[in-house]
Amino acid sequence: MRPAWVRRRPPPALGVAAALLVAAFLAYAIWGFRAAAVAGFAVRSCTPLALAAMCGILCERTGVINIGIEGQMLLGAFAGFFGAAAFGVVFGVLAAAIIGALGGAFLAVCAVSWRVDQIIAGAVINIVAMGFTTFFYRPGFVIGSLPTWQIPLLADLPLLGPIFFRAQPLAFLTFAVVIGLQVTLFRTTWGLRTTAVGEHPGAADTVGVNVARYRYGNVMLGGALAGLAGAMLSVEITGSFDRAMTAGRGFLALAIVIMGRWRPMLAWTAALLFGLLSGLVNQLNFDQVIDVPPQFVAMVPYGTTIVVLAVFSTRVRPPAAAGRPYP
Amino acid sequence: MRRTGVAAAGLLVLLLGVTSCGGDDASSADKSTAVKGFSGDCAKKEVFCVGLVTDVGKVDDKSFNQSSWEGAAAGAKAVGGGAEYIETVDPKDYAKNIQSFVDRKVDVVVTVGFALADAAATAATANPGIHFIGVDAFQATTIANLSGLVFYEDRAGFMAGALAGLLTKTNVVAAVLGTDKVPPVVAFGKGWENGAKYTNSKVKVLTTYHPGGLDVAFNDPTWGAQTAKQALDNTADVVFGAGGNTGNGALLEVAKKAGAYCVGVDLDQWETMPGAHACLVTSAEKRIKDGVVLLISQVHNGTAKGGNFRGEVGLASYHDFDAKIPAEVKTKMDVIVRDVGSGKIPTGVN
Amino acid sequence: MNLDRLRPAILPVAAVVVALTIGAVIVAVDGSSPLGAATAIWVAAFSGPDAIGATLEKATPLVFAGLAVIVGVKAGLFNIGAQGQLLVGAITSAYAGYRFAGLSPLVHLPLCLLIGVVFGALPAWLAGVLRAKRGVHEVIVTIMLNTIIFNLTDWLAGGPWMEPGQVISRTPPIVGSARMGRVAGLPTGFVLAMLVTVAVWFMLEHTTFGFRLATVGANRHAAHYAGISVGAVTVAAMTLSGALAGLGGAVESLGVVGRFEPGFNAGLGFDGITIALLARVSPRAVVPAALFIGALRASSSELQAGAHVAPAIVDVVLGVALLLVAAPLLLRWLLRMPPSLSTAEVQFTRGWGS
Repeated sequence: MRPAWVRRRPPPALGVAAALLVAAFLAYAIWGFRAAAVAGFAVRSCTPLALAAMCGILCERTGVINIGIEGQMLLGAFAGFFGAAAFGVVFGVLAAAIIGALGGAFLAVCAVSWRVDQIIAGAVINIVAMGFTTFFYRPGFVIGSLPTWQIPLLADLPLLGPIFFRAQPLAFLTFAVVIGLQVTLFRTTWGLRTTAVGEHPGAADTVGVNVARYRYGNVMLGGALAGLAGAMLSVEITGSFDRAMTAGRGFLALAIVIMGRWRPMLAWTAALLFGLLSGLVNQLNFDQVIDVPPQFVAMVPYGTTIVVLAVFSTRVRPPAAAGRPYP
Repeated sequence: MRRTGVAAAGLLVLLLGVTSCGGDDASSADKSTAVKGFSGDCAKKEVFCVGLVTDVGKVDDKSFNQSSWEGAAAGAKAVGGGAEYIETVDPKDYAKNIQSFVDRKVDVVVTVGFALADAAATAATANPGIHFIGVDAFQATTIANLSGLVFYEDRAGFMAGALAGLLTKTNVVAAVLGTDKVPPVVAFGKGWENGAKYTNSKVKVLTTYHPGGLDVAFNDPTWGAQTAKQALDNTADVVFGAGGNTGNGALLEVAKKAGAYCVGVDLDQWETMPGAHACLVTSAEKRIKDGVVLLISQVHNGTAKGGNFRGEVGLASYHDFDAKIPAEVKTKMDVIVRDVGSGKIPTGVN
Repeated sequence: MNLDRLRPAILPVAAVVVALTIGAVIVAVDGSSPLGAATAIWVAAFSGPDAIGATLEKATPLVFAGLAVIVGVKAGLFNIGAQGQLLVGAITSAYAGYRFAGLSPLVHLPLCLLIGVVFGALPAWLAGVLRAKRGVHEVIVTIMLNTIIFNLTDWLAGGPWMEPGQVISRTPPIVGSARMGRVAGLPTGFVLAMLVTVAVWFMLEHTTFGFRLATVGANRHAAHYAGISVGAVTVAAMTLSGALAGLGGAVESLGVVGRFEPGFNAGLGFDGITIALLARVSPRAVVPAALFIGALRASSSELQAGAHVAPAIVDVVLGVALLLVAAPLLLRWLLRMPPSLSTAEVQFTRGWGS
């Protein structure tokens, strides 16, 4: 009984990625720096979304719905910034991961041990995170910035170099996490057990998989990733914290998880497409080509998600046990 | 489980400790210059009280709420009084928040933002004994005890744009703005564009607005930073960040790039954005603080009038860039600032 | 007096008390006086007719939002889109309120309310249909719809429906014939909210439809075998939920704001979730829960002016209360309550898939 996703065929993300790459180079040849600027915006703006989406994938693959990603990101951004202000950026990043994992732990305790409704638990995380980070925010702190790393030789590649191989630590971490999850989720014992727990916890239990332990572990790991995604906003990208600065990215990550059909690479590709869209709009505004009401641009990712779900609902199938307590 | 729980709780306590007691000894970005508190019972004649009501925003926003609040505090202090503020949480409470100060018998109520214009006018009509100052509240009809403190944002944007036109080496400058639903933001942006073209006929101006709703458009520093980066990738070398935290994000991003300039907005952001010192050549200022201080002193000595009061606009000091800007640029800018300020050079923005 | 009837109230009340205590400690640590904060809340929310009116006004949309969430939950559906449906109700009723001027109040006001109800129900109906026909989870659809609606209303209020000659994004004012005023000091909106609460309670507890709803919510498969059309009930429950949220938005526009202005209705739908939880999904408890939150929300200016406390403390208190209600074991452990007090735990929605 090999599930469908073990079948040997190239993952769909690979095809999309290849097509994107060709298109990018073609555009680069024609429009030069403009194409590079759009591509750069697309990749950079999708990176925190992708990391947050990895949280969603980990949680849902293991059978726990997490709508508290937004709150976990906000907590991560908060802890990251103030941790960095107090003890340096490394501590800040660690604090963000820990506080995100703590949010995950709360969700896991509710979902696994107490059989509390998972969606409620996630909503609680969002509300609590918003209240606490708003109340305890204090102005007037300055933090150091994370270094920009470049990988020798690769960083000098045209187009791709400055985007993928000259970046800050958490962006590199995101690339690693996406690729790492893509491999481990479908190729390792841990990954197969994780998906089994999310698809059919009863069967997994029968063959000796500790369902509760997998759920706890993955939801906390996912929370840590969401916390890091938040730290990426505050510590890495802007170097500042502002109330509600996540601006709905945690909810967009939920859409991306679905658009990516619970696969890491495909989710990253979906995030990239959304990033590409907003980068393109910026560029068209820059070059004064069009003047669309910005609200319509902001709607596109969400509208597409609904359409995709409505049209392809039979193919976009979530992990069967997501949202259900076990036993 | 238990151990992680304890560790995490400890971490949380630590962070809360940092945030709750660290604010006071922090850098110049702190609002500690403005002291909150009335100097006595406001109902008494000799006690002078100023109450300030913000729009949905905080007095530490490093931008226009902050400069209004600093003005209210400084203005009250200058005449021997005290000031307090109420930050609006729910826009339906504008009138109620104003009423809180009316009930406390304050002498002056300052409202911040054009969204409060209606509420201020209603309250002013109902309370002729209190003087109201409406920051950004344009008065179509004159109410004797309501001064609208309004600004020519297009002129400030024009001046900053003119400087950008002179400074750019690539002949590309950019503006990363909040939403086009807020008129002052649009005026800043249009002024910037025309100013750059005034001093540099070859310049290309890249302009973009945040695509989100009003709730996120001024509070998305991530988008601001990444869009500024996109502008830099488009070879822009002077970037104007105007739109609350979104604009601040743009400034912080430009600061990471050697040789690029950025321009702040509303108040001298050198004081509020230490992270942007590497690029912040000036700020397109609405001198809200000065205007509020002046109007409060007028109220105190009984010379305040109703109607619109045009506050000053201008460019903030060049600070560390003073030595790096060529003398001829400064001379040209002095003329432009003077003539735009006097209306001799039209900004081309209606 | 039968103490057993009060038993379901113990948990939420204890949660609120604990949350308020924690809030007081935070206020004290922050350097302000908890007593001052309590006084400020009392003064702002209950001290006189004006204060009580303000509390009722704040509570009114929350009652509708809470009922909207509860109706969904009873049928096993989680309508996280109450916020969006409320916005649609608010803007469409405001449009009808300024556009159809010249009608008699007897026609105009009901018409505006009806329009808010119908358009508020629309997005929820869509989510219900997608759920019933395509198996798409309503949570994800309504989250997506929230953002879409948010942007759409922003665009309408700043574009086609914007007040002429105005710089602010907002619709023209609603004309007098569609305004809801006060009757004997009571906001009419609140009176309507009470009536609707009774109606929803009656519908859920004493009608066949309510029974079907509860059966589907308890066990979809059993409901199916009992001959209930699960799909039809799902669509009906979502539509009704959206209609209630839309009505809340309409009442807000017609009774409080007087027009539609972006940002004026923020967060109401999400407070609906808090209320549904505090009320433990019982329509009878919605009004007290909404009054509690309404009182806290009404005190934001007095908290600052009178007690010098940041109004975000309200969100902290609500967050803690919610945390304790959602995770009852936490509260029981905190208060050393005997486990026998636990009756129904909170578990009412199901997985993404089915």
